[in-house]
Amino acid sequence: MAVIETKHCTVRYSVGTPFEREALTDLSVSIEEGDFVGIIGHTGSGKSTFVQLLNGLLKPTSGTILLNGKDIWEHLKEIRQVRFQVGMVFQYPEHQLFEETVYKDIAFGPRNMGLSENEIRDRVYRAASMVGLKEELLEKSPFDLSGGEKRRAAIAGVMAMQPRVLILDEPTAGLDPRGRNQLLQQIRAYKDENNCTVLLVSHSMEDVARVADHVLVLNSGTIAMQGTTASVFSRCDELENMGLSVPAVTKIMAQLRRAGVPIPDAVYTVEQARQALLPLLKGGADRAV
Amino acid sequence: MLSDITIGQFFPGNSVLHRIDPRVKLALTFIYIVAVFIPRNWWGLGLAVAALIGAALLSRLPARLLLKGLKPVLPLIVLTSIINLFYVDGTVLWHWWIFRITWEGIATAAFIAIRILCLIAGTSLLTYTTSPTTLTDALERLLSPLRVIRVPVHEIAMMMTIALRFIPTLIEETDKIMSAQKARGADMESGGLMQRVRALIPVLIPLFISSFRRAYELATAMECRCYHGGEGRTRMKQLHMRSGDYVALLLMALLIAALFVLNTQFPKVI
Repeated sequence: MAVIETKHCTVRYSVGTPFEREALTDLSVSIEEGDFVGIIGHTGSGKSTFVQLLNGLLKPTSGTILLNGKDIWEHLKEIRQVRFQVGMVFQYPEHQLFEETVYKDIAFGPRNMGLSENEIRDRVYRAASMVGLKEELLEKSPFDLSGGEKRRAAIAGVMAMQPRVLILDEPTAGLDPRGRNQLLQQIRAYKDENNCTVLLVSHSMEDVARVADHVLVLNSGTIAMQGTTASVFSRCDELENMGLSVPAVTKIMAQLRRAGVPIPDAVYTVEQARQALLPLLKGGADRAV
Repeated sequence: MLSDITIGQFFPGNSVLHRIDPRVKLALTFIYIVAVFIPRNWWGLGLAVAALIGAALLSRLPARLLLKGLKPVLPLIVLTSIINLFYVDGTVLWHWWIFRITWEGIATAAFIAIRILCLIAGTSLLTYTTSPTTLTDALERLLSPLRVIRVPVHEIAMMMTIALRFIPTLIEETDKIMSAQKARGADMESGGLMQRVRALIPVLIPLFISSFRRAYELATAMECRCYHGGEGRTRMKQLHMRSGDYVALLLMALLIAALFVLNTQFPKVI
């Protein structure tokens, strides 16, 4: 079942001024419950606009957005309820930290939901362990944390609301490779544990390839491609024409295939490449003997 | 919502008004502000308004835009008009309890309202047609004689340039932080005054912190490029007076002369 759907959504900025421009054009997408969707597209393709539509931070110029089959803008007063169900982690979320302690900052969302103090405490500890924040950090000021820890604390602040749909806009930007891997694994684990839906916006193809089940490609405000990760990354050339780079390993595999080596279409992680190449290498070694 | 503010905004263009030397434009605006107070009768005021409309036409900016910029000062105009309406002595037209309206009161109120409109429209015409950086540049040049009495003219101009440059950046940043906190269920649209003030804390603290971060980053970047104040600093764009600039100055001189002459020719209204 589709948890969230957009129907013919168009978004225009600065209507009625010389700076008017269209960010999204007649976009209709449906996201299935429990899916892990990667959203890719180069700068200005409308990715950020698209995800801000989904939790009611932006109102479409025309079109409707359905959450569990209900129009989110039907009752203006209930838009906050929508935001609790569709959690959103912005780019550089550490810039939103403001409380005296990390604990209070993570508790900001759950407290706005009007939960009991016990429930809040529970959720804060769960969210903190989910992103790998040590408990002793919870009583520190968020401004004393390291960059990576701040990022984790901010993401925990959204996870603590336990939204049905979690949207993350470039969560790994500016992290070192190890921090990147860890964070992606934690997001994946969060999804599997809570059985919720996750949307990951990124222009790092490697990130998306590693964790997403489905991929949505946006190009100048419209959907360019949509499908399983394997099917999208098999269309290497088209992606590159849109100014997107495919994972480096996919590129190498495509070249090998062109050179006549029998390799399956959809290789987009190093692990898959290893599995595709090992039998061939072993076979080759046999022949050499 | 935050991006709806037009006062002080610059609209690029290539009209006669856009091309006037910013120093001249700045000086002319100041002179015009003073000139608006010269007329003592309707003929003089009419001429001042006509001059402004002429300049506005030369700017080739849409009239809707110019009028929109006047909207925020309407409350001020209404307030001064009401005060003038009731406090000027003369032929009584209408009387009730302690309130009375005189013919002179109406005239004064209208006169002053038009004056204020001219002031605002004249200055916004300057900012509409001059980019903030050239404007501060011009200010620095015009104020440079003050350096003799140790006024840090260059530093003041640099501070203004930086402040103006970062207004849009900070507006964008505020929008972003507000969205992020709204996504966590912050409620900024309802509740009483105290509740609303408290709801601003999650926005203001991150905004302060990021402003300081930006200030440090900018200072480092400036030092990396060996910025050491105004001494011996040259400019990429040198300002040159052209014939058009002298014509503009001449026209302003004529306007002022005409205003004085009109004052002597017609009876005083105010």
